Amino acid sequence: MSTIDLASAKPPSEARAIPLLPNIGARSGVIVALLVLWELAARLGWINAFLFPAPSNIAATIWTQSGPDGNPPYAMPMHVLRSMIRLLAGIALAVVIGTVLGVLIGMTRWARTLFQPLISIFMPVPTLAWTPVLLLLTGIDDRTTIIVVFIAAVFEVIYTIVAGIEMMNVKLFWVARSMGASRLQIFLRVIIPAIFPYLITGMRLGTGYAWRALIAAEMLAASSLGLGFMIYDASEYMSTNVIYAGIILIAVLGYLLENVLIGRLEASTTEKWGIQSER
Amino acid sequence: MTAISTGDATQAKGGASTSLTRVAGFVTFILPIAAFLAFWEAVVWFGLADATILPAPSMVLVRGWSLLNPANSEHSLLLMHIGASLWRALAAFVLACFVAIPLGFALGLSKGAYRALSPLLSLLLPLPAVAWTPIFLVAFGQGEITIIGVCFLGAFFPILYSTIQGVRGIDVHSIWVVRSMGAKPMDLFRRVLLPGALPALISGLKLGMAHSWRTLVAAEMLAALSFGLGYMIFAARSYMDVSTMFVGIVCLAVIGLLIEHAIFGTLERMTVARWHSSGKVRGAR
Repeated sequence: MSTIDLASAKPPSEARAIPLLPNIGARSGVIVALLVLWELAARLGWINAFLFPAPSNIAATIWTQSGPDGNPPYAMPMHVLRSMIRLLAGIALAVVIGTVLGVLIGMTRWARTLFQPLISIFMPVPTLAWTPVLLLLTGIDDRTTIIVVFIAAVFEVIYTIVAGIEMMNVKLFWVARSMGASRLQIFLRVIIPAIFPYLITGMRLGTGYAWRALIAAEMLAASSLGLGFMIYDASEYMSTNVIYAGIILIAVLGYLLENVLIGRLEASTTEKWGIQSER
Repeated sequence: MTAISTGDATQAKGGASTSLTRVAGFVTFILPIAAFLAFWEAVVWFGLADATILPAPSMVLVRGWSLLNPANSEHSLLLMHIGASLWRALAAFVLACFVAIPLGFALGLSKGAYRALSPLLSLLLPLPAVAWTPIFLVAFGQGEITIIGVCFLGAFFPILYSTIQGVRGIDVHSIWVVRSMGAKPMDLFRRVLLPGALPALISGLKLGMAHSWRTLVAAEMLAALSFGLGYMIFAARSYMDVSTMFVGIVCLAVIGLLIEHAIFGTLERMTVARWHSSGKVRGAR
């Protein structure tokens, strides 16, 4: 019953079908054409250049804000770095706790009856709704954003790991146990390798959710740095250049994170280990 | 007659045992939740947690009741917040449907357009809709337009993407067959394209509504002026009113679940499950 609940919350569309580098030139043609059109329209005054600043202006903003002349100096790299640190900390927490919970739920009966109802009541809560509560609990600092990232990613990790354990071949346990493996050995030598590819998949899906949640949480709860903070702060000063720069960075980084970094990791591990196919 | 009565008896017995297992399943489902709530309640009562930061479930319930104000339902604050939120999410969702579904069909049917636009889509798809909020804030200020605009973007891309995938998944032979039999474009759309794309389309709609609802929370926290569940939660923060926050969180989760299961579950049962019950699209005569 609740497994179906978990299943119905499956990830959004995966746009990873686009192969990379080889035809990147041919494929980015439309993007380049749109940018040129935008530039022309902004320069010639067809569109409001305040709300839609020319791409060259946005690029110039990114350039100056990345250098020592930025406000504060080296602002862009600092924002990106801080967002990444928060994201990685939250994801790391989610992977560790999610793996433990997922293995417990997958392997033991009591954990399944205990945790599955709890997960199915916590999962439908929109992640960002926790932000104000966390702000009161921890105050405006990195803990709030990290916990939001954690909540956004952890359910996906648990779900894929439970699915991975259910896909495992029971004979693997029998073999290991009949050869006298202890529980710890079974965990380290049988379960961990078997669920690893699923863990990577869960991480990729979780990172997608976490990235969305992080940006919104930074807009609500960050006090100094982070891409979400940057664009929200810029909206108060009406500096649309900076907002667009932030949106572009968020889009590109999100794409790279989801498709390139974790996609590569996924491809290399699943290819190398082959998702424990039934031999 | 005896045969009938025994038949009835076995049937009743079977019914009783299935309802018994259902009750047992419900109890094992609800028991951990009840235990969790009781534990939370006890922690607060014994003073292990600060009740002003972490109110007990009973306090949340009392606050929810007083916000709901059932004696005077026309001035029920909670219902007004819920109404405002639902209206925004639905308006954004309907707008997104009107734009994304036709566009999705167009992109799904034309290979060239899809190939040209897919890099742009794959860049915009993972972009959080909330990131557009500052632009809307600069352009329109706080208020309805900003919130609905951001939710529109949140719902738009999942619906567009699923529609494209659904249309592209249709076997081209069935289109050829129907066309060679002299179907007009309208027939083709109604008999082949729509039923073929429908499973993907409906899951896209479900996803779009879920995104709209989740984006709404953030958008309302950032841009709402007076009403809405997100606004209620965020405003309660200024008064350290954590009970109200939890009331809002519970409402958000329950309404989200209701939308997903009651509305889209029924929709799926009425269309996809019926049309694809035999594993194929039943053609019309």
